[in-house]
Amino acid sequence: MATSARRKAAAGLLAAGMLFSVVACSPAPQDDANAPLEVWARVSGGAAAAYERIFAEYTAQTGVEIDFTAVPELDTQIQALAQQKKLPDVWINDAGSLGNYVAQGFLLPVDPANIDGAENIPQSTWDENLGIDGEIYGVPFSRQAVVTFVRKDWRENLGYDVPKTWDELHELAVAFAEEDPDGNGKDDTYGMIVPGSAQSGYIYRWMNPYILQAGGDALTNNDDGTFSVAFDSAEVREAAEWVQQQFCTEGAIVPGSIGMTTADSSFFETGEAGIYATGIYNLNTFDNAVGAENVEIIPMPEGPAGSTSWAEGEDIYFGAASDRMAEKEQLASFLISETAQRIGMEAGVDVDGAITQAVVRIPVNQNVDAVAVTGDERYQVAVDAYADAVPFPWSINFLPYRQIIADGLNAMMSSCGSDIDAGITQIASDLQAQLETDGIAG
Amino acid sequence: MTAPSTIDIVTAGGRRGGRRIPASVSFRRQLIPWLFLVPGLVLAIVFKFVPMFDGIRMSFLKVQPFLGDEFVGWDNYATVLGDKRFIESIGNTVTIAVFQTVGAVVVAFLLALLMEGSARWLRWTRTAVFLPVVTALAIIGEVWRILLFPSEAGFANRVIGFFGIPPQDFLSDPNQAIWWVVVVGIWTAAPYNMIILLAGLVGIDRTLYEASAMDGVSTWQRLRHIVIPSMRSSFAVVLTLAAIRALRVFTEVYVLTGGGPAGSTEVWMTRTFSLGFDQYKLGVASAASVILLVVTLVLTIGVQWITRRKGNN
Repeated sequence: MATSARRKAAAGLLAAGMLFSVVACSPAPQDDANAPLEVWARVSGGAAAAYERIFAEYTAQTGVEIDFTAVPELDTQIQALAQQKKLPDVWINDAGSLGNYVAQGFLLPVDPANIDGAENIPQSTWDENLGIDGEIYGVPFSRQAVVTFVRKDWRENLGYDVPKTWDELHELAVAFAEEDPDGNGKDDTYGMIVPGSAQSGYIYRWMNPYILQAGGDALTNNDDGTFSVAFDSAEVREAAEWVQQQFCTEGAIVPGSIGMTTADSSFFETGEAGIYATGIYNLNTFDNAVGAENVEIIPMPEGPAGSTSWAEGEDIYFGAASDRMAEKEQLASFLISETAQRIGMEAGVDVDGAITQAVVRIPVNQNVDAVAVTGDERYQVAVDAYADAVPFPWSINFLPYRQIIADGLNAMMSSCGSDIDAGITQIASDLQAQLETDGIAG
Repeated sequence: MTAPSTIDIVTAGGRRGGRRIPASVSFRRQLIPWLFLVPGLVLAIVFKFVPMFDGIRMSFLKVQPFLGDEFVGWDNYATVLGDKRFIESIGNTVTIAVFQTVGAVVVAFLLALLMEGSARWLRWTRTAVFLPVVTALAIIGEVWRILLFPSEAGFANRVIGFFGIPPQDFLSDPNQAIWWVVVVGIWTAAPYNMIILLAGLVGIDRTLYEASAMDGVSTWQRLRHIVIPSMRSSFAVVLTLAAIRALRVFTEVYVLTGGGPAGSTEVWMTRTFSLGFDQYKLGVASAASVILLVVTLVLTIGVQWITRRKGNN
């Protein structure tokens, strides 16, 4: 009996212990006013090191600690956290998410008057952060536009000039595939790198500059809170036909691109492809992989309507789950200061010895000169590209629209015989339906 | 339910011969197995049942934690069933489920027949064959993507080039992508099924083999009339598990194709994930998950009922 009783007691203890440990695992409440501000950014690996340097400098200057977490899948994590009515105090993510966050009530509005140095950010940049209710959400942190990277040594080996038009870009892509630009005697190189998957809207994000350069766009802002569909146009058709020509010319695009995300598309680094329309933030990585002298950034080759590029950016968002406004404003003031913007632009080395990506691409602080900070003339092309670039409408939740277009384009480009007209018409009608669902159809 | 008998043995020492067991002891004896189950139950409740019931609750809400959830009745279900991409994804899901399940069970059965026995080399081979099961699906997907890289220099294209077949687009071709997803699914799932079927094979009464050998039956007859009927319950388990797994297929598709190209490999779960985490419609995504739960439940009960009825016959 005694043995049995002991056993029972032991089992009871074990069971109670299990229950207790589960309860103890629940996350601690977030609203501890003495805890350091919890800050997230959508970065991984090397880019996280850049943020860590910025926050270390902040702590050195102010004595205020920051609890920083690099979160590669930031939007998924934010969404999951929000289900528990929690959010980070501050997070840094795509400017394009602004409308989505506002629609879900995730953000506290920002009063630029309370941000030191707000006047160093151009008013036009502040205006980009207007929510649909007329309030400003998020402090601009970094801006950028898509630029075209080219393997300079390959181009020069083959005796081609810098491509200035779509046709010349196509010729160069084909030459990279067919004329053995790296001179290794093997047929192992391709022209353009294209993240062509519909996942996260990648194909549309890659193709949007070409749509803009043809004079097309997805939606027209009627400036009265409503939008109209602009996608079903001759201009978009022209861009789609040109892109399909690239997909259907052997070697002009890396094979299999239709299923690739940006994470799968490291062909520039591996020396397998030589043309990539992407963000300036890749510059350090590319330089490190193939040598800075072999990487050139060229102005966007002109399409039928010009060389407009597509603008993106990152904002500093104030989470609505905690107040602590003064602390958030103090941090944001530092992040837009010359010091922080400079640190964010510098290439560094992370703990594994890898070259880090710059987290500030085109500085929002107009007193910071990207070319002067980096000592790299190539930045000027990116600065110029941003000056002639158009963003997605940030004030609305653009994600469903981006996904509709990406799904449609992915289908269109997945086969060379696809009916482009029918595809574009279908996308336009889906966009119209989405505008109506969202109650912003004009 | 082997737990009570184990406890009986453990507590037998306290019985003192054949005396009647007092009620309190009998109660304790019933309680103890439950205590042993507590760790598993707690984990199941916290990680399975609480999220499941939360999912069911969310499927009736417009989920917006910071603005207040709104009750929308059956609207989310109507949205799912009215979404043409969901409907299209059902076809792909069923195609993958049917071919992957059948393929994985057939391959597993062949593997089990080959791998039955106790020789040392068999043990080694069984471990090697089992490796896909213990490898992370994301890694399997990545390895297959490299094998199936659609350039002439890609591994698979070089292999088929050896036989004079022109280079294929594999995962980039909307017409074949889904079949490659099925192939990878079979490759991954077959070894797991094999283990269950091996257990079934080992359990077959040896004397049946000896008797049939005396009667001079062929290998095929032995398979047809002894092995397969004896393994009915193993097949039922494997088929049920494989069908459930195939219906909620997600990782393979997400890693291999992300649902593309042209939506040709989009399945129920990738569409659900996209609605939940690309478009943040968590209520609609929950409704889609609940529908999948109900379908899985009905299928499982159906398979159980059919096999039990056949077994009784």
